[in-house]
Amino acid sequence: MTPPASHSRHAVALLLAVLAVGYWLASGYYGKELVAETAITAILAMSLSLLVGQAGLVSLGHAAYFGIGAYALAGFGQKLGWPPALAMAAAVAVGALLALVVGWVAVRLAGVFFIMITLAVGEMIHAWFLKDRSFGGVGGMSGVPRLDLSGIGVDLADPAQFALFALAVALLVYLLLDRLVLSPFGQTLRAIHQNEERARALGCPVGRYKLAAFVVAGAVAALAGTLAAQRSAFVSPELMTWTLSGEILIVVIVGGSGSLLGVSAAAALWIGLRHQLSTMTDHWMLAMGVIFVVLVLVAGDGIDGALRGLWRRIAARRAARRAA
Amino acid sequence: MHKMRRAAVRAAIVGAAILGAGVAGTAQAQAPVKIGLVLPYSAGPFVAIANEITDSMALALEESGYMAAGRKIEILREDTTHKPDVAQAKAKKLVFEDKVDMLVGPVASAELTALFDFAHQAKVPLIIPNAGDNEVTGEKCSPWVLRTSFSNDQIVRDMGRWMAGKGFKKVALLAFDYKAGHQLMGGFKKPFTEAGGTIVTEQYPPFGRLSDFGPWLGKIRDAKPDAVFTFFAGPPATLLVQQFKEFGLDREMKLAGAGWLVSPLSLPSQGKAAAGVIGVLNYVPAIDNPVNKSYQERFQAKFKRTGSEFGAQGYDTGKLIHAALTQAGGKTDDKAALVKAMHAVRIEGTRGPLRIDPRTNNVVQDIYVFETELQGDKVGYKVLDRIRDVQDPPNGCKLGG
Repeated sequence: MTPPASHSRHAVALLLAVLAVGYWLASGYYGKELVAETAITAILAMSLSLLVGQAGLVSLGHAAYFGIGAYALAGFGQKLGWPPALAMAAAVAVGALLALVVGWVAVRLAGVFFIMITLAVGEMIHAWFLKDRSFGGVGGMSGVPRLDLSGIGVDLADPAQFALFALAVALLVYLLLDRLVLSPFGQTLRAIHQNEERARALGCPVGRYKLAAFVVAGAVAALAGTLAAQRSAFVSPELMTWTLSGEILIVVIVGGSGSLLGVSAAAALWIGLRHQLSTMTDHWMLAMGVIFVVLVLVAGDGIDGALRGLWRRIAARRAARRAA
Repeated sequence: MHKMRRAAVRAAIVGAAILGAGVAGTAQAQAPVKIGLVLPYSAGPFVAIANEITDSMALALEESGYMAAGRKIEILREDTTHKPDVAQAKAKKLVFEDKVDMLVGPVASAELTALFDFAHQAKVPLIIPNAGDNEVTGEKCSPWVLRTSFSNDQIVRDMGRWMAGKGFKKVALLAFDYKAGHQLMGGFKKPFTEAGGTIVTEQYPPFGRLSDFGPWLGKIRDAKPDAVFTFFAGPPATLLVQQFKEFGLDREMKLAGAGWLVSPLSLPSQGKAAAGVIGVLNYVPAIDNPVNKSYQERFQAKFKRTGSEFGAQGYDTGKLIHAALTQAGGKTDDKAALVKAMHAVRIEGTRGPLRIDPRTNNVVQDIYVFETELQGDKVGYKVLDRIRDVQDPPNGCKLGG
């Protein structure tokens, strides 16, 4: 699926950012928390979108890289006392490294075997942190340091400022991943997704491309994890449960798997709905399940596909009117 | 897209409503005391516990018509959805947006770690109605975090001596391989061996999903102990109780453990297999005192089931908070004075006399040894022994007091 022209994409990105900032301005205290959570979820969803939407690699263990990023930040920043910026960079590197090791094996497998190995590795890592005592086991660990941005007058301990910071990072990640998707690298990934045999026959080193996508996705997920850890100054194995991997996969599918903006909008929808429904009923998960099933049934290509269909119809009508 | 815009509009309306409420609140002479509950109401394994705590706390506050020292008491519920980061965000919302005077929560230990730091830094009283990690009122203790439930060590500390004294000289240990499992087994083991007992085998199956206790029970049978001392709760507890009976181990040894093993929440699914188990806990429905009798009567009349230890903790938490608010003359602006009032009050709870130890912020309470038995065609409880006034040593907590 080729992305639409860049000016319309960036316009939509700007619109999403403006909406988020508008909500940030209008909302009370808790709204800021929701903006931060949405930004972090969007980054995580965009990283998975690269795998699922572009490379066609459906991972069910993506929360592991998210969690590893968070734990690595806690380890470097708190246990070893590194400066937060260095610890954050190192944590992203750890996420990439883990993805390299796992991907080395995983990208050789296809279909359900790929899903199973990503799930299994994710569960192994989760189980390890559940048992491990040095990071607090089930109870998790608090006191994770935050980036010191006092130089530019930003205090990340303030949830409102942190929300804007997370939003800025999400925007940056979008711009970088957008470039990547449009680059020859992204085109090759889509070619592999559409017809792997043909890509191989044309002399494309398929495995290496898939591995590269896996590593980038792992690194970006780890970046999201470092943000999650800084947001609450806290890490726990809850950050890497397979249910979180599943939730993110749902967000990606609902958003329209290959569209960075679609999955970001889906992340906002997911967080917003969860908040709204859970204030109304304790059975919010049921309601949410029904809503998302309906969404996927009505809009098979997700939010992205539905909006594009709408746009095409409007454009066609306009063209018809002009012709008449 | 328009969904988000609608959300923004809605948020603006909600924001305006909150502002409006704030203005209206200051106009009144006496604003209500606000208590924020942060519990996992909608997801995860502790939904039943969260509801039991909330319902029972409501029973306690109903007795005074939700009034303390002339001020109305208002309860605000927030759902953690069993996620630590959500728990923390909700706690912040309650404190900064709703301006609650104190927080009550959570159930699970990961959520506790997330809430603990926030309460400590924001200097807001956090009252833990159920979570046993020793460190929270030990080496990691905070002047702002109080516990009305128990510490793991408090539950089992005197049980080793008790069992050795009753002739259970050889004991096998069995608990999940995680912090609480190790704390409860460790807390039992030391006093037990000091009292002359021997641990014949010690096993820690991996935490979480377990569908068969067979291999572990087999090893216990080979070790020929007089009793097995365990810590399990919820579905694994039911599985263990049933398999213990199926394997015929009940004819060779006694099944004992931290009392959650045969909690009133689990008894209906355990059936008659639950009879003949020895438990030790801070509460058992059979406790014979007027407060507990009235609590159980009212709880059973309303919910058609026996109130559990979680409910009793919720009820006692409500009573303690009410007593402290009365003691403080309804003044809640000075949070340190509020904590002092919590330290000062002594109440008769469902569990007997209760107070908060200023040295650790942990509750001082009686611990009960009980046995389950067939009463008619149902399994009920019989109190065997009562250990009075069990108080934790500071364990590295430097609150002084």
